[in-house]
Amino acid sequence: MHPTIESLFDAAERRYLEQNELDVLTEYVESLPDRVDAYRCLRDREVAIMQSVADQLEIQFSTESQETLERCLRNALLMMRHAAMSMLQNDSELLDQQLTVWLTETNAVYNTRAIDTALYSLLNQQLEATLTPTQLKLIHPYISAAEQAMNAQSEPITVTA
Amino acid sequence: MISISDLLVDNQIPSNYFSSKSYVQGDLELGLLENRRGDRLLALPSTLIEGMYAGLKQETGQAAGMVLFNCGCWWGKNFYARFCEELTEYYKVAVADMPMIEFLQNLKQCWITHGWGRIELDQGLCDRGFVVVKTWNSPFIQFAEGATTPSCYLESGVLTSFFSNLTGRELGCVQTACESMGMDHNQFVIGLSKRVEPIQEMVQQGLSHDDIMARL
Repeated sequence: MHPTIESLFDAAERRYLEQNELDVLTEYVESLPDRVDAYRCLRDREVAIMQSVADQLEIQFSTESQETLERCLRNALLMMRHAAMSMLQNDSELLDQQLTVWLTETNAVYNTRAIDTALYSLLNQQLEATLTPTQLKLIHPYISAAEQAMNAQSEPITVTA
Repeated sequence: MISISDLLVDNQIPSNYFSSKSYVQGDLELGLLENRRGDRLLALPSTLIEGMYAGLKQETGQAAGMVLFNCGCWWGKNFYARFCEELTEYYKVAVADMPMIEFLQNLKQCWITHGWGRIELDQGLCDRGFVVVKTWNSPFIQFAEGATTPSCYLESGVLTSFFSNLTGRELGCVQTACESMGMDHNQFVIGLSKRVEPIQEMVQQGLSHDDIMARL
């Protein structure tokens, strides 16, 4: 849950909520039907969206191994699922804490920045073609944050077994 | 051709197993903290650790460090077994077949989620047969502030045992820098037992981590 809203519920032992605090809660509650709608759409069209991305990615990186492309796509699927859940809860920290750091470090080791950049570009195109403007507006900040984290990958690290 | 449906085994994609939000659960009304597969977790009070350290020092004097190190070794042996068990169960792959990066990331996240501080591995000296482990915010050295020698005995033990089990070789671990001595973080050098013995002597001589590394 969004940290600000979560902190509102923690305030019960001390006092009743102020009007501006209730306004924050009301705004979230009113946005919930749209969030659920966007979440449902992403869930139901997950495979179609990502299959289209996968097909184009294979064409763009025809010399890259299937294993590497599959790893990047699997990570993107994970990111989408976490982004959708974060959007539903209006909680960007959820995505960060659970996944972004994790994926950024993994991708840095495998040195897949070029593939990830192309993948996220294709993903954004697919989302624009699939979602309504309202749905897109809700999910975009989370995808964008993940994309920025991927682009900010540190230099490749060598890991020896 | 890549099939997305094939990538979704049982419609699940394993990710960050030890993520604190997913890992720490429990039935708080019954006083039970549990991990995500139902094993019990405990919040260890710092006053208990303080009491154990004080009691050990009183009963065993200078041997307290060695006792703690051995406790750490037992902890490490069981921790390694449970850690591997949990990874295998969740990722559906034997630890030996798991990419090293995923294994290490899980170790780092596991360390953080259990409140043991932060841990990093520096593999820059791998070609010379050593791994350097750095930890921050150790919960076990706060009662050793102002120490003149490194004091993370428990961590030294757990790392010795963990990496010995991981590699199947008898390894040694020597702490070369310690937060209790005013450093920013703790550093441990791990390698074959015979090869780390000289490091112990250098630590006793008061050499810094960097000086020791330069001499290896």
